[in-house]
Amino acid sequence: MQSEELIVTEGGLEMDTMFVNMGPQHPSTHGVLRLGLTLAGEVITKAFPDIGYLHRGTEKLMETRSYHQCVVLTDRWDYCSAMTNNLAFCLSAERLFGTQVPPRAQALRVVMCELNRIASHLILLGTYGIDIGALTPFLYTFREREMILDLYEKCCGARLTYNYIRLGGVAADIDSGWVAKCREFLEFFKPRLDEYDTLLSFNPIFLARTKDIGIISKETAVAWGLSGPNLRGSGVSYDVRKSEPYCGYEQYDFEVPLGASGSCWDRYFCRVQEMRQSVRIVEQALAELPTGELMAKGVPKIPKPPAGEAYAHVEAPRGDLGIFLVSDGGAAPYRLHVRAPCFINLAILQEILVGKKVADVIAVLGSFDIVLGEVDR
Amino acid sequence: MIGYFKTVFLSTWAFIEGLWITLRYLFKPAVTVQYPTEKLVPYDAFRGALLFDPATCIACSLCAKACPSACIALASQTHPETKKRVPKPEWYTLDLGKCNFCGLCQEACPTKPKSVWHSLDYEYSFSSRDEMVRCWKPGFPLAGRVWDPRRKEFRDLESHIPVREVEARK
Ligand code: SF4
Ligand code: SF4
Repeated sequence: MQSEELIVTEGGLEMDTMFVNMGPQHPSTHGVLRLGLTLAGEVITKAFPDIGYLHRGTEKLMETRSYHQCVVLTDRWDYCSAMTNNLAFCLSAERLFGTQVPPRAQALRVVMCELNRIASHLILLGTYGIDIGALTPFLYTFREREMILDLYEKCCGARLTYNYIRLGGVAADIDSGWVAKCREFLEFFKPRLDEYDTLLSFNPIFLARTKDIGIISKETAVAWGLSGPNLRGSGVSYDVRKSEPYCGYEQYDFEVPLGASGSCWDRYFCRVQEMRQSVRIVEQALAELPTGELMAKGVPKIPKPPAGEAYAHVEAPRGDLGIFLVSDGGAAPYRLHVRAPCFINLAILQEILVGKKVADVIAVLGSFDIVLGEVDR
Repeated sequence: MIGYFKTVFLSTWAFIEGLWITLRYLFKPAVTVQYPTEKLVPYDAFRGALLFDPATCIACSLCAKACPSACIALASQTHPETKKRVPKPEWYTLDLGKCNFCGLCQEACPTKPKSVWHSLDYEYSFSSRDEMVRCWKPGFPLAGRVWDPRRKEFRDLESHIPVREVEARK
């Protein structure tokens, strides 16, 4: 803490501004994020997010690895939803190669990604509750998340870094036992969503902390390039699954939940409703699971795509995750760029935190659901 | 005044509703596992610590090439008289400290049964970087020993033996 400059309040009172470092070691910054806050009393006059503590240089690392090995590295960006990272990279690379993915692999990708969306939103529900001061929902949400991780473990062998979606298809098949277990989970999960609503979503204390806090208007949200539930919380209907369907999302019947006012609570509740939609998608996908191949034919061990560039984006749980790949015809990507939704969502903090009280910082920051692994890559 | 009492009533009601959910779970069996007295057995597909079988390995280095983080190093034996390469590993090392547990080496291995495979072992701990490197040499019980680069010899671990020998998944 250090005092900065003298300011005069409206009442004619002279006071110092104060500079406060929040993080990088702060339990509510969800990783290693540092927020530099300039305070006048209790009100924030300036805020800047300082990132880079988790930078591992994966974009550069991928320039020396073959396409199959790159998939392993993508797991490490947004480690709460590694499936969608795998998918974004594979879609982009498949565009480069011109690979056609078999229908069963497409359906499996959808099932896995939607389960991952549920698992990822469950983390937000739990940890956001903790940030606000409600510890109990965390215990319930992580119980359900554990079941999803069990499903993943049964199918692909890993619980967090899956390396499941591969170039041209998926790595492992699911059997009838898996499908039954997954259905069992979905049946168990649906009534739990109502429980979360009772415990957290419509709890008056939670509402008082999050409603009318951190309001982002439609225009501001679009101007800062928000995506995912953060954008939809402001009422802008944009979902890559609808606007540019991939993996056959156009076959599934689901809605895109929108928030009303763009407050923290709207962003939060968007995610709760998205989980319901994800359950619907998984049910539909499991009901009409095509049979057939898991891998496209003719994907070589060391793939060498023709020179060129490709962009593909997917709707990750945290927003619009895009991968831009440039190839010079070699075995490794010439350049890879990640449009990381968390990184872009984080930038808006500088604007909306100004004028808020210190106690609201956590509520606003938590509602963005950032994962620092993806912010810094 | 009415608003005040309304807030008090609503908060109390939400509190009771929340506690009612808690109460219902109170009489159900616990979902937590009392590790280490109780242990979960992973599914067969689980990718745990890697194991290596020198008896089946043909020293083809496909696993070393498939690995994204260069964990694997090996050398093949040479015939003592003809000096030709023999398809047997002279030594084989796996750096579990670098390993991603991605399964690419296991998939690349051409032998049947796999010479390098993920065991179901998830309980391993190391106290130094040297210990993370596991070495194998045929006919020589190296599992659980580490190569000490300073003393230029294999030594026993000082701490808990990290990786247990687990039956191969054939
Ligand atoms: S599991 Fe992956 S990272 Fe580990 S040794 Fe095998 S290929 Fe390398
Ligand atoms: S472990 Fe398998 S892939 Fe690796 S050198 Fe031996 S036979 Fe080849």
